[in-house]
Amino acid sequence: MLILAWRNIWRNRRRTLITLAAIALSVTLVQAFHNLSYGVYQSMIAGGVRAGSGHLTIYRKGYVDSRDERLSWRRGDLAEQAAALPGVEAVLPRVYLPGMAQSSRESRGILLTGIDPRAERPINPFLKGLDDTRMIRSLSGRDALVGFRLLKELKLKPGRKFVVTVQNRSGDLASELFRVRGVITTGLKDVDGRLIMVGLKKAAAMAGIGGEIHELAIILDQPRRDRDVGPALEKLIHNRRQLVVIPWDRAMPNLANAIKLDYASQKFIFAIILLIVTIGVVNTQLMSVMERYREFGIILAVGATAGRLRLLVLTESLIIGLSAMLLGSALGSLATLYLSRVGIDLRSFVSESLEFGGVIFDPVLRAAWDFGYMTQIACYVVILSLLAALYPARKAGRIQPAEAMRKI
Amino acid sequence: MSLIQLDKVCKTYRTGNLEVPAVVDFTATIEAGEFTVLAGPSGSGKTTLLNLIGCLDQPSSGQVVLDGRNVATTPTRKLADFRLRHIGFIFQSYNLIPVLTALENAEFTLMLRGVPQQQRHQRVRELFALLGLEGLENRRPNDLSGGQQQRVAIARAIAAEPAVVLADEPTANLDSRASRELLELMHRLNREQRTTFVFSSHDPQVVDMARRVISLHDGRLADDRRREP
Ligand SMILES: Nc1ncnc2c1ncn2[C@@H]1O[C@H](COP(=O)(O)OP(=O)(O)OP(=O)(O)O)[C@@H](O)[C@H]1O
Ligand SMILES: [Mg+2]
Repeated sequence: MLILAWRNIWRNRRRTLITLAAIALSVTLVQAFHNLSYGVYQSMIAGGVRAGSGHLTIYRKGYVDSRDERLSWRRGDLAEQAAALPGVEAVLPRVYLPGMAQSSRESRGILLTGIDPRAERPINPFLKGLDDTRMIRSLSGRDALVGFRLLKELKLKPGRKFVVTVQNRSGDLASELFRVRGVITTGLKDVDGRLIMVGLKKAAAMAGIGGEIHELAIILDQPRRDRDVGPALEKLIHNRRQLVVIPWDRAMPNLANAIKLDYASQKFIFAIILLIVTIGVVNTQLMSVMERYREFGIILAVGATAGRLRLLVLTESLIIGLSAMLLGSALGSLATLYLSRVGIDLRSFVSESLEFGGVIFDPVLRAAWDFGYMTQIACYVVILSLLAALYPARKAGRIQPAEAMRKI
Repeated sequence: MSLIQLDKVCKTYRTGNLEVPAVVDFTATIEAGEFTVLAGPSGSGKTTLLNLIGCLDQPSSGQVVLDGRNVATTPTRKLADFRLRHIGFIFQSYNLIPVLTALENAEFTLMLRGVPQQQRHQRVRELFALLGLEGLENRRPNDLSGGQQQRVAIARAIAAEPAVVLADEPTANLDSRASRELLELMHRLNREQRTTFVFSSHDPQVVDMARRVISLHDGRLADDRRREP
């Protein structure tokens, strides 16, 4: 029976090859495009968590929603404890203070961010473009990194001084003099136009919250490790009721939602591609059954059961589906390999950087392997090719031999 | 007990609101080992009658009893199995499955019955020798002559040693020499292997060779003659 199915498939070679190619191509397309966006999302998330919240973040309750600078907290040795957990690449304490910057000529609203320069340097993509001489060195010095747009608006230059004013804990204004050490260029309007980075201790001292921070961003060596590290962090803070551990998608809902939306629309397109292919397969299978009306009549007449005939039609479709799945997955893997090694270079279409969901990413799009998804699509296609043959198979099983014999 | 008993069998086709009586009140019995031809002009109901005997169709009224089994009361699912075990079919033309070789076509019913391959091949080789088909085992139907195709169909029909072989105008597409050879072959199988044949034809040359001739006219039994050879 398997021989019969196999030979039947090659009876109309061209039609089979076209069907096979259509299914295989859809598998290739879906897998390659999924892997491409998977890779792009991953690099966006990787960039996003390094500049922003981290894969996991410890905040004081309510801070994520309100961004109220009064919700700071004493970090104690939590940073050291977190850094010691397996799977943690870096721990970045930060202080965020809204305030004003004044140069001799202009003034602007800013976000003063206190960082630990040594921890932040290798991680934060905002700091990538800075060489050592332009980087702030100490936790409490007067050196500052300023967004390039802000710098322009304040009509400042590196080396010049300016004044930052923030409100301290008791409600009084506190001003400090800083010197521009380096310039941060990200392409994000909000960052380039508002960000000033200074040493963590200096910022905290200005706000009168020495020893306290707003955010403890935890960077993992692999995004997957959040499953182990999350609970471990929860354990670390369990006796500090006011603190919470928040995953990146809640800390950066803009990015998370942008990815979700993008992915949803892509899934929709994938579903349509698969649907169209399935309809095509139903059509060819039905045609091939109708062409063999008389032949099936004979097979039934000499004693094959309708079930056997249905099985034959299903087997034919399954063979096509399986071969198409293998071929498509092979091509999909090749495409992914190419896209992950070479990528798609958008630099000739866009300016230096691309923004998506409040995150900058590389204009060279690169794919990443998502084997789980590839397998899933492969299984779908095989199942769909069986489903597509269900109706034609039923049709074949319903053939009345006496009737079929009369028609030539 | 007779192998085939037809008792007041009627078959009426309905096309639109027109009723076409294809077989009317047909009563006859056919014994095991007989060599019977259904003769009659085109449209006289030969095919319809063979379909009824072959369980490919149910009578509108009357009874078809095969080997003691009433076809009307046998569930449809079981009929396929019954055909497989008891009836061999030869049709007018395009009998064979085009993608299978002559050998595979001939062993098809044996395969459906689950006979092991070695036994199948042995049986088919015997039959091919008997039918003069040696050397054609691996040919596809398209590469066989009409007569050779019909002989492969005979091999398929008798391979599983059915109680009766039904053939609907098996010689209609053959020239007179090929039909004569085919007939002689069926005759020989009937004599040597005691295979029961019931076949239809409107070819006088063919009809003359049969031992029993049942003539049909407008769906009715017109004549039933037995001749001693
Ligand atoms: N499915 C059907 N629907 C309607 N009428 C039918 C059907 N099958 C057969 N008939 C009619 O029944 C009658 C007998 O047909 P049948 O095919 O049995 O004749 P036949 O003797 O085999 O003819 P032929 O020698 O041409 O093959 C004819 O009048 C035919 O038109
Ligand atoms: Mg006929």
